[in-house]
Amino acid sequence: MAAALTDGLSATARSQFVVLQQRFVAGLDARWAEIESAPDARVLQGALHRLAGSAASFGFERMGQCARSAELQATSGSGPALVLALASLHTEIELARSPASTE
Amino acid sequence: MRELRRVMCVEDDPDIRMILEFSLGVVGHYEVCLCPSGQAALAQAPTFKPDIVLLDVMMPDLTGPQTLAALRAQPGMTGVPVVFMTAKAMPDEVEELLQYGATGVMVKPFDPVKLPHDIRIYWEHGRGSGID
Repeated sequence: MAAALTDGLSATARSQFVVLQQRFVAGLDARWAEIESAPDARVLQGALHRLAGSAASFGFERMGQCARSAELQATSGSGPALVLALASLHTEIELARSPASTE
Repeated sequence: MRELRRVMCVEDDPDIRMILEFSLGVVGHYEVCLCPSGQAALAQAPTFKPDIVLLDVMMPDLTGPQTLAALRAQPGMTGVPVVFMTAKAMPDEVEELLQYGATGVMVKPFDPVKLPHDIRIYWEHGRGSGID
């Protein structure tokens, strides 16, 4: 998944990047919990905004796109579209949590 | 000619700080100072003496623009290039950020392998553009 991102790096740097990816993935449960339990639109937008701004840097481009899409829906107040966007985001988070995602 | 060596990163998200440290320290071989807040940046800047500052826009307490204004008031920081990092990159927002006196606006997410090269371009463009 992140192979293209780290092309040209030394083997040491690539393995360091994998460790960072694993740390990022380990934090996804907490990020999703923050999104699910957001008490209002502002907190929800903030949580989605942060995920949108970071996921692709760790090699999870689609997750970042889904977070951005959900952030836009949360901002525009579109209920059904927001539910769909959050479902897509959750799918991407689950994919990232699968063991193969950082191999 | 002075080299680009010290990069200060001001970012409240710990994951982004982590990837900035990897990108600029491991890939770019720069000396990196990570600050979780604008207040921390203001405290660290006089001793770290950054050659360039990467500054998040949306932070609790001091925002990016507020931090930039306070950094500019510090001795030796007037001409240091400051680049905003933002996940919102609408043209009018970018224009507004540049009006605060930043050298540039960098869009998050960034590519950790390309970032060291990108900040060098900002540094070359921005150094000495202020009056110090």
